[in-house]
Amino acid sequence: MHELLIFLKRNTLAVVGLVILLFLVGLITVGPWLTSYLPTRLDILHKLAAPSTSHWLGTDAFGRDVLTRIMYGGQATLSIGVGVVAIAFAVGVFFGVLAGFAGGWLDSVIMRVVDAILAFPALVLAIALSAAFGPSLQNAMLAVAITLAPQFARVARSQALTISVKPYVEAAISLGLSRRRILLRYILVNGLGPLLVQSTLALGSAILQTASLGFLGLGAQPPMAEWGADVSANLQYVRSAAWVALAPGMAILLAVLAFNLIGDSLADWMNPRRRNAID
Amino acid sequence: MTIWKAVAAATVAMPLMWTAAHAQEADKLKTLVVAVPSDPVALEPGTNKAEPIGSEIILNVFDTLVAWTAPDFKQLEGRLAKSWTVSEDGKVFDFKLREGVKFQDGTPFDAAAVKFSLERTKAGNPYVKATFDLIKEITVVSPTELKITLSAAYPAFLSILAQPQSAVVSPAAVAKYGDKFASHPVGTGPFAFKSAQADTNVVLEANPDYFRGAPKLKQIIYRVIPDASTRRLELENGGVDIVQQQGQLSAIAAEDIGALKANKDVKVIETSSQIIRQLEFNNSKTDGPFANVKAREAIAHAIDYDGLLQGVFGGTAERVYGPLTSNSWAFNPKMKELAPKYDPALAKKLLAEAGVNPASITLKLYSFQGPLWGAVATFVQANLADIGINATIEQTEFPALRTLQTSGQFDVALDGRQPWYNDPDAHITIGYLSSLANTAMTFRMPADKDLDALILKAQQTPDQEARKALYFQIQEEIAKRVPGAYLFSPKLIVYARANVEGLVINSAPPLNEYWSVFKK
Amino acid sequence: MASFIIRRLIALIPVMCIVLVIVFSLVRIIPGDPATTLLGPGATAEQIAALRAQLNLDQPVVLQFWQYVAGLFTGDFGVSLKTGQPVAHEILIRLPATIELSVLAVIVAVVFGIPLGVLSATRANSLFDHVTRIVSLIGVSMPAFLLALILQLTFGTWLGWLPVSGRLSPYLPVETVTGFAVLDALITGNFAGAASALAHLVLPTAVLAAFLAATLGRFVRNTMLDVMGEDFIRTARAKGLHNRQVVLEHGLRNSLLPAVTIIGLKFAEMLGGAILTETIFAWPGIGRYMFEAIKNRDYPVIQGTTLVFALLFVLTSIVVDLLYGVLDPRVRRKMG
Repeated sequence: MHELLIFLKRNTLAVVGLVILLFLVGLITVGPWLTSYLPTRLDILHKLAAPSTSHWLGTDAFGRDVLTRIMYGGQATLSIGVGVVAIAFAVGVFFGVLAGFAGGWLDSVIMRVVDAILAFPALVLAIALSAAFGPSLQNAMLAVAITLAPQFARVARSQALTISVKPYVEAAISLGLSRRRILLRYILVNGLGPLLVQSTLALGSAILQTASLGFLGLGAQPPMAEWGADVSANLQYVRSAAWVALAPGMAILLAVLAFNLIGDSLADWMNPRRRNAID
Repeated sequence: MTIWKAVAAATVAMPLMWTAAHAQEADKLKTLVVAVPSDPVALEPGTNKAEPIGSEIILNVFDTLVAWTAPDFKQLEGRLAKSWTVSEDGKVFDFKLREGVKFQDGTPFDAAAVKFSLERTKAGNPYVKATFDLIKEITVVSPTELKITLSAAYPAFLSILAQPQSAVVSPAAVAKYGDKFASHPVGTGPFAFKSAQADTNVVLEANPDYFRGAPKLKQIIYRVIPDASTRRLELENGGVDIVQQQGQLSAIAAEDIGALKANKDVKVIETSSQIIRQLEFNNSKTDGPFANVKAREAIAHAIDYDGLLQGVFGGTAERVYGPLTSNSWAFNPKMKELAPKYDPALAKKLLAEAGVNPASITLKLYSFQGPLWGAVATFVQANLADIGINATIEQTEFPALRTLQTSGQFDVALDGRQPWYNDPDAHITIGYLSSLANTAMTFRMPADKDLDALILKAQQTPDQEARKALYFQIQEEIAKRVPGAYLFSPKLIVYARANVEGLVINSAPPLNEYWSVFKK
Repeated sequence: MASFIIRRLIALIPVMCIVLVIVFSLVRIIPGDPATTLLGPGATAEQIAALRAQLNLDQPVVLQFWQYVAGLFTGDFGVSLKTGQPVAHEILIRLPATIELSVLAVIVAVVFGIPLGVLSATRANSLFDHVTRIVSLIGVSMPAFLLALILQLTFGTWLGWLPVSGRLSPYLPVETVTGFAVLDALITGNFAGAASALAHLVLPTAVLAAFLAATLGRFVRNTMLDVMGEDFIRTARAKGLHNRQVVLEHGLRNSLLPAVTIIGLKFAEMLGGAILTETIFAWPGIGRYMFEAIKNRDYPVIQGTTLVFALLFVLTSIVVDLLYGVLDPRVRRKMG
């Protein structure tokens, strides 16, 4: 806790990111209790109304309150982000640690597959997967997770490599501790820092990529509220009623910005040399 | 940071562009730039599959024997044919051809060229196989006389002859280019093909020797711009002269049409189309909630048709009352009364009568991609929710939805039909003949002897009035079976720069002719 | 050096094989039958079957795969189902447009990103540092389609300075020599055409470069700080060496090396990002071509374009390794 306070005190930008994030989380958790509108209830008579006291961010082409859709949409978008990173983290770290610790042919095979997935343009892989398994939020999530997993695998592998030659790990092996315990205990715990940074940054790109898929019509299906899908469905009104597309667009921007600010500052903090330079 | 870059580059580029712009002014008035969403496919009648962009270019590079007369498209007129007669039994067509017409490569046009072209399309174009297979014989009587004999009476045949697939090609050019004819198409039309660059443009040049008189334009440039909002920006900036709202490829949001109408540099031309968009049931399914006609009727009464037209389309679409649009010559005016009216209470009652508990249905509502279909689906989904049916929307890509349909793996889908020739046959036969149920773009009608017999009879009756009566009957019969809920017919909308005059817009298929166009 | 290149090229084979297998199977689980799509309404089951046979789609997938791989060795990428043209040719005529755009974007990103990163690092935790970091983070966080639209509206519609789409003015045709529009215009002495081609490049380049410049700026800042935190730099500073000299001689040289890696990695990512940019700006490149192919189920084109993307990625990483050797003598020795 004390450490955290010092971190925040020295990193103005991390505080900015945290404030934005808390604001967004508050908006999507408390917001739905405060609004009297429903995200999917049509009210064609009041469509594309400009922002006013009754609709703070105006209404969309179906007369739905834009602010309400942002509140509910954020639940979807942010949980997609977290879900994607969780899958990518689990898959990537598992194979990365396995490759780094096992070495030999297993390492080569895993890393060639990682290379191959990296060589696939991320959006193309996601488009093809979404097209293959049908357009839905779950499939879009899975697709983006697969494209992000290799980054985790690489970080985890290099952590495993560095740590596995550390004297205490070698000692543990010579003491006859089981491999699984060593993996869990030392590699995951000690290598968590860089993985945490990687996760925060990946959250940003997960949200961005899901939004891009939504823009191409491969993400959440209407009438569900989701930021990326809402931007893409309403981009056609951007000239006559800019708020409908720009509001969820700004929400995406803010969320990604918040994660990047925090991730960046964490990276600075966890790197002692960089800390040196800043001090 | 990005803004610096753009500003810096703009400062460098601006004076250069200014000088270049001056040299272009004269050219600009003689050039028409048309925005299209993708490259044309198959720029020649022998392989064209009614893909809209290629079809439109064919219509301006080639000529057909006959064509529909603007602006109503209810009457045929001669193009390469001067006149024609049809035999009593409707099987033999005698054409007198225009004399002195030359192809763009200088070779003369004659009856042999027509025979060559039609036989070539018949042999090589699977898309028109069903109709071209009716041609039994084509005889060259003299260089200006041609006789076509059909194996069965087919009154829509003249309508087929007005289609791009029936356009007349230069036999000499086909001999010269062979397989590469599509990259060097040569016809008799007002514009000659000059060049095409993949994903960039197609350039046509005026044919000064055109038999109806040289076109007023010097060239037409089709610019490929895939993104709808970019097309609109280009239209407003004057980068393109024409943007066509294509039925299938909906280009510009209804809200934007209001804004464009207010823009004095742009004019918006709207006409009725024969396109139908519907919610369709899987009619060959014998189980499931919609096997009962009452349940289908319930859905048809659940939809707020006027709300959809006003709320989603802002007046850019029209009501459809049955299997034919109201601008068709075979439209039965009685359908206006027979068509289901929005009545959620009645819908709930009908569901109860059908013994269907709406809460027990979990429905997948399939639809195409794109914001427009998304909006229609959202609206229909809300209508269904009002009568207690919970539907989830699945917007799939065109090929995926087609596969689901031909294999019958759906209950309800949002779909559309754009007739590729101007005849009620194009909607009725393909849509509702039960023997075609498993092919693409049908209503998957179950075997139904009476309806099938009626459809085939209407298809083959030569007398126009008798045919019309048959189609009247067919429309009522189909409506009784409730194969779907007819949602709307999008208007054909063409956006043009204010100085563009003389445009001819065909309604079925929706293609433009540019021969008479000029810029002020 | 030569043996290093050969070793890297051999290592490339398994990666390309995996890519090939993935794309080939992926394409075949995408629902939608190309034959049904190609034939229009009213096509009968027999016609569809006949076309499937004609396209070899009725054969076992393993056999199709084998035929495809055998073809690759003779430079045969198959024939586009949509246009009937050889895929290799269709890719080749679109490749210059994509390369032109992405190479320019890399140059712009390097020119703007690296200096900003250096300045930010030397003034770490200052107002300048905060502002550039926030601006560059916005650059990374901004969805490309939003940025594109904002730029089009600002510079195309409101200011009217720049064309909003396309590669050339339709009124200024440029003769194709190399396929690179600006170069072709200059070769043929068409200066108005060259100016127009440049003007058309500005907005799409800006959109593509924004992301890379921001990433690069952040990265250079961070690695510079790493290096500057190293003992030898602190020693140098302690010895009284002037700050700027320290930064340039030690910090920059040492942080350029990893920056090259990032450029290499991001260059490939950018090729993928070109899908959106090329579609919005009507840019006739291969990203957009690939997207259209996925929409049309044009199997051979999806396979061909993915292979080309993967190959570009792998080759870029080899070039990056070679550049490493050039920049760092220690690595060069290791390469043998």
